[in-house]
Amino acid sequence: MISLFSLLFVASLLSLLLHRTKLLQPFTLAVLLAGLLLSGTAVGLNGFGTSEAMTLFTIVMLIVLMAFALHEKSDTTMTQMLFLSTASVALLQSQTMLAFIVSFEAVSLISIVLVSHIETKAQAEGAVKMFIAGAIATGMLLLGAVFYLMGGGLLDAKLTSHGSLFSQMGVYVMLFAVFYKLTIVPMHGWAADTYALVRHSHAALLTGVAKTVVALAAFKLFAPFLVHSIAFSVPLLVVLAVVTMTLGNFMALHQKKLARILAYSSIAHAGYMLLAYAAVKSGYASTGLLYMAIAYIFMQTAVFLVLDTLRKKYDMQTLEDLKGLAKGDGILAFFFTVQLFSLAGIPLLAGFLGKAVVFYAVVDAGLWYVALIALLNSALSVGYYAWIVKHLYFDESRVSNSFKTPEKLNIISQLILLGGTLYFGIFASMVFAVGNGL
Amino acid sequence: MSPLFFVFGPVLLAGVMMLWGRKENSVAKYTALAVFTAMLLFSLSLLAALPSEGYMDIGSYFAVKRFDFILSLQVDHLSVVMLILTSVLLILVTLSSWTMKNPKYYFSLLILFSGPIFGVFMSTNLLWFFIFWELTLVPMYFLVGIWGAEGRIYAAVKFFLYTHVASMLILLAFFLIHKETGVFDMTLVKETMLSTPVLVWWLLFIGFAVKMPIFPFHTWLPDAHVQAPAPISVLLAGVLLKMGAYAMIRMVILMLPEQSQHFAWVILVLGLVTLFYAGFMALYETHLKKMVAYSSISHMGLVTVAIATVSYAGLSAALYEMIGHALIISPLFLIAGFLHSRTGSWQMKEMGGLMQKAPYLSALFVLAGLAALGLPGTMGFIGELSILIAAIAQYGAGLIVLALGSMIGAGYIIWTFRRVVYGEKSVLVEKSDFRMHKVEFAALVVFALCIVGFGLFPSVLFHTINAAFNMLLSQGGAL
Repeated sequence: MISLFSLLFVASLLSLLLHRTKLLQPFTLAVLLAGLLLSGTAVGLNGFGTSEAMTLFTIVMLIVLMAFALHEKSDTTMTQMLFLSTASVALLQSQTMLAFIVSFEAVSLISIVLVSHIETKAQAEGAVKMFIAGAIATGMLLLGAVFYLMGGGLLDAKLTSHGSLFSQMGVYVMLFAVFYKLTIVPMHGWAADTYALVRHSHAALLTGVAKTVVALAAFKLFAPFLVHSIAFSVPLLVVLAVVTMTLGNFMALHQKKLARILAYSSIAHAGYMLLAYAAVKSGYASTGLLYMAIAYIFMQTAVFLVLDTLRKKYDMQTLEDLKGLAKGDGILAFFFTVQLFSLAGIPLLAGFLGKAVVFYAVVDAGLWYVALIALLNSALSVGYYAWIVKHLYFDESRVSNSFKTPEKLNIISQLILLGGTLYFGIFASMVFAVGNGL
Repeated sequence: MSPLFFVFGPVLLAGVMMLWGRKENSVAKYTALAVFTAMLLFSLSLLAALPSEGYMDIGSYFAVKRFDFILSLQVDHLSVVMLILTSVLLILVTLSSWTMKNPKYYFSLLILFSGPIFGVFMSTNLLWFFIFWELTLVPMYFLVGIWGAEGRIYAAVKFFLYTHVASMLILLAFFLIHKETGVFDMTLVKETMLSTPVLVWWLLFIGFAVKMPIFPFHTWLPDAHVQAPAPISVLLAGVLLKMGAYAMIRMVILMLPEQSQHFAWVILVLGLVTLFYAGFMALYETHLKKMVAYSSISHMGLVTVAIATVSYAGLSAALYEMIGHALIISPLFLIAGFLHSRTGSWQMKEMGGLMQKAPYLSALFVLAGLAALGLPGTMGFIGELSILIAAIAQYGAGLIVLALGSMIGAGYIIWTFRRVVYGEKSVLVEKSDFRMHKVEFAALVVFALCIVGFGLFPSVLFHTINAAFNMLLSQGGAL
């Protein structure tokens, strides 16, 4: 039977044949479009299954990847993107421990291959850091799984709490492995460098797609366990979340390079996502995480693709370079601004509702003071987002810049992402309808 | 016409206007004028259709029942009065900005501002209220940051951050309310809330106090007021601050009456401090626009005192003073901004003898100034008198100190006249050209007519204003 998974997998392999032809981009778009029709189909292997929430997210992801395909020019990246989407679909549908481990590793591996497309020294540094972090995460995940098995857990079943110390310890070790990927402090060090150093379009896939997919899949797997061990897990997760968002935001305030600001902003957002884990006993936690993931995949992909365009077209990398962009390339500045405001949590944009529902879940779980810290963090983050916008609009342009007319495909790509950010900023019913059944 | 049209229509229109069309296109200002006139007509039609008491439902949209996240638009007299005031001010601001540079983006942003502000006054769903409340920040940020004076960037970023932090407190309070009651509908909160947590009251009070602004949460405003272009100062004072006062009345006093009565003394004390602190600051200032800004804050202190009475008479007086303040302070800001644009100076001592050079402009300035200090026959007098009466009725004769506030007002206003309007003609005034575009002058005249008109015939306004608080009468005039 044709499933989304098999379609994407076959397409990834076929895409290798189309390198250096003009057909690769239309082919990729056609595959992703066809994928939309198959988005509800299951992988069809043991341990995988669909749910409405995951189907909604898969649709969103395919749309975002279409925008990505419109933007991207490199053949290898296109193929790797298809492979990544294949693994992501598997990870989203994983239901058992084994399925999760296998697809998590697949996503990790493809991420590493993705950033291995090295052209400069800086990119090499970013790639190596990610490789090492990825290796540690893999090791920890397997170690945790071994502990879990020793404590009486089963690989080919959903994660459950067995009460034994070994199995519980195993689950926490596994959680920390996942936190490496989610860039939770203190496992965040690699991300600040990798996201800033590797090619921006690669970073878009890493922070936009891979991170959200891992966050959702891990929540699905670990939530039942976390609910059972609230006394220990909630304080731990709250502390990690608060430290992550606070550190991310404060570090972002001090950066001069755009990519670094957004890398730290991505770390801060990981903190917000972790709040959904901490609020696991609330009925709104899974809806909140799903909403945040949907908002995040649109806005984060969009801002990193804007960075990619800025670097390629104008060689702009720092805040200083950005001065007066609005006067020269108003459309790009507009897209950038809207997505930054969405990241900042300004209403009528998806980022606001994503944060709002997660923070509500935190209040609902009885942790209002944590919500207050998160809200103040979110207000703090406006500092650097508004500061970027200040450079775009309020400052005078550098004389040396000669602005070029924007490319059509880039505009369409950004329009798709903007559409998503706006749509989910107003119409919440779809996410709420499926959000409980992650 | 669907009310949604007036909430999201401007936002969409603004987006289209920004991306299309030539930069120096003057179509933008006519579009803005048309949009705001339509909004005024819509508000007037709402007023005509209102029932004598309570809310009128004008539609609900985008329902997410599970989270009670529904854009329910309902209006009562209080909100319709605010809608009318807002649309009138938007029209006058458009006229006052007739010669603004870069008109396409400027008027697009004004239109972008108008949608959410209507949403604020029409939405009875707390979460949607919050969405619109926050959204008003974005166009303001750009309007101050791009068209402002020398320190515009600092002022814009400070304004954005400061008020955004306050908004976060408001959002947390709304979440706590929803957790307690399961609703975001502000018309149901009072009934469904068994006991108001003190925390919710404080979060809301501080959140809205920043916007009003009440001492000690006012520090963003002098910067924003001074750096903003004059018409935007009008919007800040006339619409944004009023939004804070509206929210304070609706969501603190009327929605959480028990706690509000319990903490009325806090509001009263802070209101008095605001009144006198800002009054003395205005007396001390030599910077013309800062003086007007502090005078504006001082008047908001008076509104705060009126709100603190938590009574029918007090709230009506507060609403009247809000309208009066909006109409009186606006021409002062506009003239201060105009003088700066022509003389290049903010210092009052460099502007002496304006009357000899620009008599009509000076006459309007004097009229607005006299209204600000509460001259009988103007809106300022009625506002201050009715607040004084309400406050004394509620808190006793000690509140006669309010009259002292007016005396300080008289001090700084008359001294300003001495320094700016009368006296010897300064060199700067001598060499500057004070001819004003006639559309912009017309806007000032309209303000002046309103100040005198509603001052002589306050009952025209009170008729509508009193209806806003009719439900309090059935409870004996107090909550």
